[in-house]
Amino acid sequence: MAEEYAVQVAVDVPLFGTFSYLTHLPLRAGQRVRVPFGPRRVCGFITNDIPTEGIETGRLKRVEELFDELPPLPATLLAMVRFAADYYHHPIGQTLFTALPGALRTDRAVRLEDERLWQLTGAGLAEEPPARQKARRALWQALQDGPLTNAAARGVSAQAGRILADWLQEGRAERVAPEALPLRVAPAPSLNDEQQRALEALSETRDDFAPYVLHGITGSGKTEVYLRLIERVLAAGRQVLLLVPEINLTPQLIERFTGRFPATRVVMLHSHLADGERLKGWVDAWQGRAGIVIGTRLAVFTPLPRLGLIVVDEEHDGSFKQQDGLRYHARDLAVWRARQERVPIVLGSATPSLETMANVAAGRYRRLTLSRRAHDAARLPTIRLVDTRRIKLVEGLAEPVIAALKARVARGEMSLVFINRRGFAPVVACTDCGWLSGCPRCSAKLVVHLAERKMRCHHCGWEEAVPPVCPDCGNVDLKPLGQGTQRLEAALARLLPEARLLRIDRDTTRHKAAWDEVYRKVHAGEVDVLVGTQMLAKGHDFGALSLVTVLNADGGLYSADYRAAERLFAQLMQVAGRAGRAEAPGEVLVQTQWPEHPLYQALLRHDFDGYAQTLLEERRMAGFPPAVYQALLRADAYEIATATAFLTALRAEAEPHADGVLVSGPAPALMVRLANRERAQLVFESGSRAALHALLERLVSLAERMAKAHGRALRWSLDVDPQEM
Amino acid sequence: MQNQLVLTAAVEREDALRYTPAGLPVLEMWLRHQSRQREAGFERDVSCEVQALLIGEAARKFSGSLAGKMVTVSGFLSQRSLRNPRLVLHIEHVEFVKG
Repeated sequence: MAEEYAVQVAVDVPLFGTFSYLTHLPLRAGQRVRVPFGPRRVCGFITNDIPTEGIETGRLKRVEELFDELPPLPATLLAMVRFAADYYHHPIGQTLFTALPGALRTDRAVRLEDERLWQLTGAGLAEEPPARQKARRALWQALQDGPLTNAAARGVSAQAGRILADWLQEGRAERVAPEALPLRVAPAPSLNDEQQRALEALSETRDDFAPYVLHGITGSGKTEVYLRLIERVLAAGRQVLLLVPEINLTPQLIERFTGRFPATRVVMLHSHLADGERLKGWVDAWQGRAGIVIGTRLAVFTPLPRLGLIVVDEEHDGSFKQQDGLRYHARDLAVWRARQERVPIVLGSATPSLETMANVAAGRYRRLTLSRRAHDAARLPTIRLVDTRRIKLVEGLAEPVIAALKARVARGEMSLVFINRRGFAPVVACTDCGWLSGCPRCSAKLVVHLAERKMRCHHCGWEEAVPPVCPDCGNVDLKPLGQGTQRLEAALARLLPEARLLRIDRDTTRHKAAWDEVYRKVHAGEVDVLVGTQMLAKGHDFGALSLVTVLNADGGLYSADYRAAERLFAQLMQVAGRAGRAEAPGEVLVQTQWPEHPLYQALLRHDFDGYAQTLLEERRMAGFPPAVYQALLRADAYEIATATAFLTALRAEAEPHADGVLVSGPAPALMVRLANRERAQLVFESGSRAALHALLERLVSLAERMAKAHGRALRWSLDVDPQEM
Repeated sequence: MQNQLVLTAAVEREDALRYTPAGLPVLEMWLRHQSRQREAGFERDVSCEVQALLIGEAARKFSGSLAGKMVTVSGFLSQRSLRNPRLVLHIEHVEFVKG
């Protein structure tokens, strides 16, 4: 029997550190194993190459099984996981398991389709099956024309699997690795001078870290610049990682890439894939078979042995930040990865985040600007504010807005009405006694969804029937208050009876094929007015939008969340950018009660840089990120008193060590109650990242220890670089 | 507590039928009442306009057929809303009368 020694194993549990196990196998870092953990059997990964010394091996449990159907995880992935676990102060095991596709997180072996092709050997070629063996003969004939994949062989005959296995045994058939196809590039539209200059600048660095910001206004043709750059990287035999917000991962986008590079394997990675499909894409990327990986935030961890370029499109988008478990920001990890693997990274956006703008200002990132629309004839839309303070609104719409919509419908031009609230109305009210439809589990209101006669909480998912009478006073005549997309759609149907409406929000796009149908209708000219939420503000090209109208946007002007103004401005710049693409000049009408607000004034001038500078200056004066580094320790319990007591005690313990870190709180979260839990938080801020992280390190172990006294009643989590307060 | 009003009046106008969020039909209307009543031993002319509300199946049944008709309605009074103290008659029974 071989000598036994201890190895370190990372498992998916909420405990810091790795666990020691005994084995006689020569295990290496990155190998997948099954180990006993308490009463369970779980999947784990070896984290060290060198056997652990000085451990009392007698009491250790044994590694039960090694899964060797895949090579050990590459060192680059393990290094990235270690960095993420350190930076976000998250358990290494949970961090690693967040980075992996689901199939590799189970304690079972995975089955991978054999990618090799079937071909006949000399012996096989020489021996033609007799005509009465129809299946064998058909397969033999098909293989005369060249090697076949498993799937293609099954297409010839349903019995192909058995026949080929026989032939393999008899030496009549063999398996060969598919040859990598040479890069093919489909014809591309020509670049304008700005795009060309950006492309040349982006191509200057190879094989070294170089962070770029591609700041291109909506419609300036950023994607075409990516495509050209990717072409150069692929031609050099390297792989490309493209991160996009989930909502932008449309069949249209994928088609642009697969269409441009028809011989390149393009892998898509996102959380809605079936386990097997995601594993296949992930392994193809890892084994170097895929040239391009396009994915949502989770794709940032995909191993790519020949990585040559990272692109983060719409880098300002909030969906790059995970809001539970490992609260990582995929853009930030992508930048770290680019530095680590010495490749260029491009952060693209029409409205870069303030963090990114600050990095540009500090000279850390190089900015390339696309200030014109790619299409020669396309011009930026005219933006007008419609002051709603003294005018009567009809169903939430101002008269000039209705008139503008009518004119577009009459001319056969397409308009978009943007309102960031789905459902029928944000609340049901009793005008007799003042009752409002509150969520029983959250400090939020239930939104009316009239078609189903339901009220839903958009925060916790609570759902109940609209009550027939007021639960407090019995009044029958309850009123929906305010506007949602459904109500607006109904109102527009009355105001513009001849218009063909299409509503786009999370409720109408639940189904897989929904976006295809939207694009089909829009491009077939079957829509006069699009009504929808922020989904419409993202990178979709709806062609000739002549008018964009924005309703009820003022909420973001005076929010308690210091990021609200940044988000609103980016959203309005993006939604306004939907107007006037292609040939039709566009117009944007924004209904507001605050027309003098600097945000709207900057919007009128299309002045992103100016307003970004204003916001950065405000953040600097107020001591908010990106002027400082921030972390949030949240706690929740059934009663806020429990959460506050825990945080107060934690603060008292941590504060003596808070060298150069400002600690504030505990304060109730902006939304105190969520899903029956009440929440409070401590905020940590520092001008020094090192000082902040030194404190967080201590804080996490303190919190882990101090939370034990409260048992399951209390939950806590740390959010480094929080995006939401 | 008593709260019952019986009134014969002409339906001056009625709104389009609308629905509560729970799906109950609501019909709002304005009634014009004119009559002679006794007060302190003297006969006098009385006239008033009353806003009225009909909720439920009856609202659907009568919708579109009331404007200009003479009706006797009975129901209870309630104020228009928390902030608006104007009285509204909530109709429970409607009867057409020859006017």
